[in-house]
Amino acid sequence: MMSKAVEEIKEPTVKKRNPRRVVAGLAGLSGALFLASCAKNAPQDTWQPKGENAQKIDDLQKPVFAIAGVVGVIVLVAVAVVIFRFKDRGQPIPHQTHGKPVFEITMTVIPALILAGVGVFTARTVFDLAKTDDTEMIINVTGQQWWWEYDYPVQDGISAPIISSGQLVIPVGTKVLLRETSRDVIHSYWIPALNGKRDAVPGRVHTLRLEADEPGIYAGQCTEFCGLSHANMRMEAVALSKEDFAKWVDAQLAAYQSPTEGLAKEGEAVFIAQCSRCHQVNGLENANGDPIISAPEENVLAGAAPNLTKFMSRNTFAGATWDLLNKTCRDNVWNATSEEFGAKYLAGVSAECLNVADLRDWLRNAPAKKPMYADPTKLADTGGLTRGMPNLNLTEDDIDKLMAYLLTLK
Amino acid sequence: MFTTGSKFYLGISTLAAIVSVVFLITNDQVALGCVALLGLMVSAGIIAGASLASRDGGETENATTSAAADAAPTSSIWPLALTLGLVVLIVGIVTEPLVFVIGIGVILAALAEWLVQSWSERASADGKFNALARKRILNPLEFPILATAITGVIAISFSRIMLAVSKDGSAILFIVISTLILVAISLFSLKPSIRTTTVAAIATIGALGLVSAGITTFGIGEREELVIAAEEGHYSHQECGEEKSKYYDKHVERTVSSKSGVIATVILKDGELTAKVLGIGEGQKQITVPRANPTSILFQNLDDTDHRLTAYLGKEPVAEGVTEDILTCTQMIGKGGKQVLTIKINKPTFAEGPYTLTVPGIEGTSIEMIVP
Repeated sequence: MMSKAVEEIKEPTVKKRNPRRVVAGLAGLSGALFLASCAKNAPQDTWQPKGENAQKIDDLQKPVFAIAGVVGVIVLVAVAVVIFRFKDRGQPIPHQTHGKPVFEITMTVIPALILAGVGVFTARTVFDLAKTDDTEMIINVTGQQWWWEYDYPVQDGISAPIISSGQLVIPVGTKVLLRETSRDVIHSYWIPALNGKRDAVPGRVHTLRLEADEPGIYAGQCTEFCGLSHANMRMEAVALSKEDFAKWVDAQLAAYQSPTEGLAKEGEAVFIAQCSRCHQVNGLENANGDPIISAPEENVLAGAAPNLTKFMSRNTFAGATWDLLNKTCRDNVWNATSEEFGAKYLAGVSAECLNVADLRDWLRNAPAKKPMYADPTKLADTGGLTRGMPNLNLTEDDIDKLMAYLLTLK
Repeated sequence: MFTTGSKFYLGISTLAAIVSVVFLITNDQVALGCVALLGLMVSAGIIAGASLASRDGGETENATTSAAADAAPTSSIWPLALTLGLVVLIVGIVTEPLVFVIGIGVILAALAEWLVQSWSERASADGKFNALARKRILNPLEFPILATAITGVIAISFSRIMLAVSKDGSAILFIVISTLILVAISLFSLKPSIRTTTVAAIATIGALGLVSAGITTFGIGEREELVIAAEEGHYSHQECGEEKSKYYDKHVERTVSSKSGVIATVILKDGELTAKVLGIGEGQKQITVPRANPTSILFQNLDDTDHRLTAYLGKEPVAEGVTEDILTCTQMIGKGGKQVLTIKINKPTFAEGPYTLTVPGIEGTSIEMIVP
């Protein structure tokens, strides 16, 4: 009776998969993923060092990655062998042994030796990267939601302080020490081609060394989640030859030239009325001839807004998220040879090269372009202070005038 | 139809609803009172529903099959405590986060007590075992929490007494109270046979006396000199002059916890002020300070006499056409002493500068702070 009942139970039909097809599928997927990692245009590729510090990290990470890869392959092959060779085929359970001292000690000592070896080289690299005694230039780097400010203290080759944002300009072959801090939350500074990352923490000063081997632009990204527009907090390090860097310094210290007539002059008036509350332009004066001093601390939670004195000498705006140059001119600068790069970068942004579309969109309604906490009806928690640039409700005429004025700031 | 418990809580809920209506009619400022009363109505209603649903924990399906369920449940204060917790929670939503957190604490405590009590009363047919089971689960939680709460209340009461009596009186009172406690404990230890109820009674009377005195002195307020000091800002007003300040320099900070967060170390040595700047080195007479960002500077006095570091941070308007220097400074520190000075400058140097660091009493030496 019982056996009959058992016979009546039909085994469920299981569609058997062809193991070869599964392996082929997995191999195909792995290959596709591997090939996807070989992007041609990858400015933040951590495997392409362009400076001494990044090279030290690269010299460490490649052998460590190789060792990890070899260990990983050995472990995976061993697992695969065990899975396939000792698959349950109904064979009796083999004799169980407990304890193989020689094998266990070997399997403990080998990983310990590998880790100790890696540890020694890692510690040496960490101490190397933390050195500050051979500094040749210092730059203060201050992070805030969602852009970076750079100020250059007075030092050899810089006779008066320089303040900039978005693009960090450095001379090639110079050991530059960044002194990082933050005005609001924790950010992290990272230019992969030049060094590892370092947190910028409010109330603290952390140091990071950069040195670029060749002229060019090196892209980076804030790597500590810092709020709504964290993904739009980018940065670029621009390396110039020492001669070109000296020219850049001279240009940054050149006195402000107020436009004398036309649309740019009208744009200056719009700027004074609408923008100078937060944005400083050194040298800008009111009708009485008094300098106009911005007061970002009264409008922005971080207490700062980018200084726009030499705005068009940079190639980016809004936290280096958008280019000030249109695509043709941008490619012209980015793809320039080492010899040509300095002259092309120092030319700044001309009317012909301006990325009109993105800058107009930004001036028309900044929070619509880059997510920010700037809605005036939702600022109760910050006492009316915004995080980022609010919508100024500028008219199209005002935007035309402002664009004309901004083009004069270089 | 209605169980005894549900009638009780439905009564509270109805009463709260009636009082809410009366309160609305008779008062102008009704928001908070209405929230509390309507909260009481809702939370008592919820407890009434729970009581009704569980039939007061009375007759259940198992009543006829389990000896443990024979005994009727005892009365419990925890549903009432839960109601109170819900009211506090609701009031906390519209008032202070702390009140909200207290509400959560009361709710969790009431739920834990209620659940364990209900379970332990039906754990077995043996009442003594049930009581023991309850204790074994809840006492490890109850005792530390109660002890913390009682200690907190006594400490706050004691602090109120100390702040109310005169400075000398507080010292005498401290000695007297601590001596009394020491004597009492010594006597108890000499008489091991003393009944625990006697010890508990004496401790309770002492604690109640202390709390009563604390409440009374809280009503009286702090002694006059403390009130005057708070009004005149003795402990916050910096006197950045050459002379030692009576209040600001009274208790000099001698430790520096964050040396690595400073942008520069300013050193006074042989009457000369120099800065050691991170990344640049020693002997600097100029430091760059980021605009509108709190920045720390470490002052180290290597001179033989006491000195302070004073920062000039521009001017601020105090009346129509009248401005005053903005100064901030360290305390007066002795030889070898260190202290951090945190400054924030909102305007660039070309607007209000030069900003300087000086040592009052030492002329001709300063550090310039440049704000880009």
